[in-house]
Amino acid sequence: MTLLVGAFTIGLILALLSLGVLVSFRIFGLPDITADGSITLGAAVTATLCAQGINPILATAAGMLSGALAGAFTGILHTKFKINALLAGILVMTALYSVNLRVMGRSNIPLMQHTTLGTWGENFGHTLLGEGGLMVFGWRVGAGEVALLLGSCAIAVLMALALFAFFRTHLGTAMRATGDNPQMIRALGANVETHIILGLALSNGLIALGGSLLAQYQGFADAQMGIGMIVWGLASVIIGEALTGGRSLGLTLVGAIMGSVLFRLLVAVALRWGLNPNDLKLITALFVFLALILPGLLKKFRRAPVQSAAVAGSQL
Amino acid sequence: MLTLTGLRKTFNPGTVNEVRALQGVDLTIEDGSFVIVLGMNGSGKSTLLNAVAGTFIVDTGRIELAGHDVTRWPEHRRAKLIGRVFQNPFSGTAPNMSIAENFALAARRGQSRGLGFALSKDLMAPLRDRVASLKMGLEDRLDNAIGSLSGGQRQALTLLMATWLKPELLLLDEHTAALDPKSGDQVITLSEEVIGRDKLTTLMVTHSMQQAVSLGDRLLMMHRGRVIHDFSGSAKKRLRPEDLIDLFDEIRRRELLDESAATMLQSLYV
Repeated sequence: MTLLVGAFTIGLILALLSLGVLVSFRIFGLPDITADGSITLGAAVTATLCAQGINPILATAAGMLSGALAGAFTGILHTKFKINALLAGILVMTALYSVNLRVMGRSNIPLMQHTTLGTWGENFGHTLLGEGGLMVFGWRVGAGEVALLLGSCAIAVLMALALFAFFRTHLGTAMRATGDNPQMIRALGANVETHIILGLALSNGLIALGGSLLAQYQGFADAQMGIGMIVWGLASVIIGEALTGGRSLGLTLVGAIMGSVLFRLLVAVALRWGLNPNDLKLITALFVFLALILPGLLKKFRRAPVQSAAVAGSQL
Repeated sequence: MLTLTGLRKTFNPGTVNEVRALQGVDLTIEDGSFVIVLGMNGSGKSTLLNAVAGTFIVDTGRIELAGHDVTRWPEHRRAKLIGRVFQNPFSGTAPNMSIAENFALAARRGQSRGLGFALSKDLMAPLRDRVASLKMGLEDRLDNAIGSLSGGQRQALTLLMATWLKPELLLLDEHTAALDPKSGDQVITLSEEVIGRDKLTTLMVTHSMQQAVSLGDRLLMMHRGRVIHDFSGSAKKRLRPEDLIDLFDEIRRRELLDESAATMLQSLYV
């Protein structure tokens, strides 16, 4: 049960990652892989500040802002210097690896001894539910774990609602149009470059917030923790789209959260069944590969009989 | 008022792909004037529209619109003064967004976009009326993605969007060329209505002789990046499609002569 609650909690924390990936990949149509660096940056900044005894809320906000700054850099490289979006992301991600080591001063910061949002959550759970914890379907779950699960759920939902509201404002609608038809929104007087920079800042801010919360939940920040995160985020977004069939903005946002949680559960189950953790990234990459080519293949298979039917029809 | 002075633009200068698209265009268009631009492929008529819209910055020359010198303004800044409908019906609307959202974007053309709710009640009521006036039955589908509509419907909506806020200048770039004849006619009728009602200063590029003679109060014929004929007033009213075809033939003959003269000279002297 602890495993399950843990998987749920991480899934909800990393829902912020998939929301960020949703913004860059789906809404802006930009393959931004800054995520690998910005999620670690969020964790590194927050962990460093928490280790110095700074208020965890401030430390988390600082982590999020640092990610937004990294995203803005990618956006500036892409728009102002006309560097291919993928390459711009790779450049910033690579640079961030050094930045993260500089920020932390070493490759790993343990947070077990320091006050974080995680400690607050656990304490809150204990005062609310007592030391005994909660009985769920006959299993005992620690009060701290429950509090952290509910806390991450609240943050994920809050962020999704905020995104939903933002993307329905004048500015947010124009930013969506930037991804949908840049020619049109330019003709309607929007500065496409500014929108892309803002969008990538927003995306990476969310991702860094995810990294910051993840570090506080697992109790450490590590320079390596971001590797492959972009693929995980993408996998979550794809699962989410399959689950909701997401056409509308609201559905895609809900899908991103559901996808992230389901993906974490799948990973937890697979690991429990004896999957070698070292193979995890290979399998995730394979999964994303399949998910990317499947819609095209299905269409081909479906179209073939329709075409022959049409030919037969025209011959009559 | 739109004033163009000595506009020149060469694409890919100094390469084998060099195109001298505009070779000195001088033009003044009065407020409320509806100007048709006609010309063969590659005559520079679409380039002229794009130069005014700011798709690129001209090499030399000056563009003044409504009292502003917009020569160096980027495209998105000029959008405050200019409404546009493109040739491709897919270019003017965001396909994955709803009709209402597309109009919410158009209702802020060239203005700052804050954090106010885009689909406000102030927008929805007049929007329903305007869309209903198209008689396409779209007023009940305002929440549908615009990508699900036909090219003609999308082009009609783009025209409404471009003129939702009254533009100082309306640019129509062969906006019916990609439509079937029936929807093309609908869009032309709509264009006449909108332009007539709001007395919009309009620059319209077309390939259709019929449209060229029946629409507008002034006709420009372009060739090789220059305006070679300019009809207005009664001269424009008297024009028949045959006259235009004659003019085109004349251009073509002159082209032929130029070419054969060139080859003759080449064979003699090179």
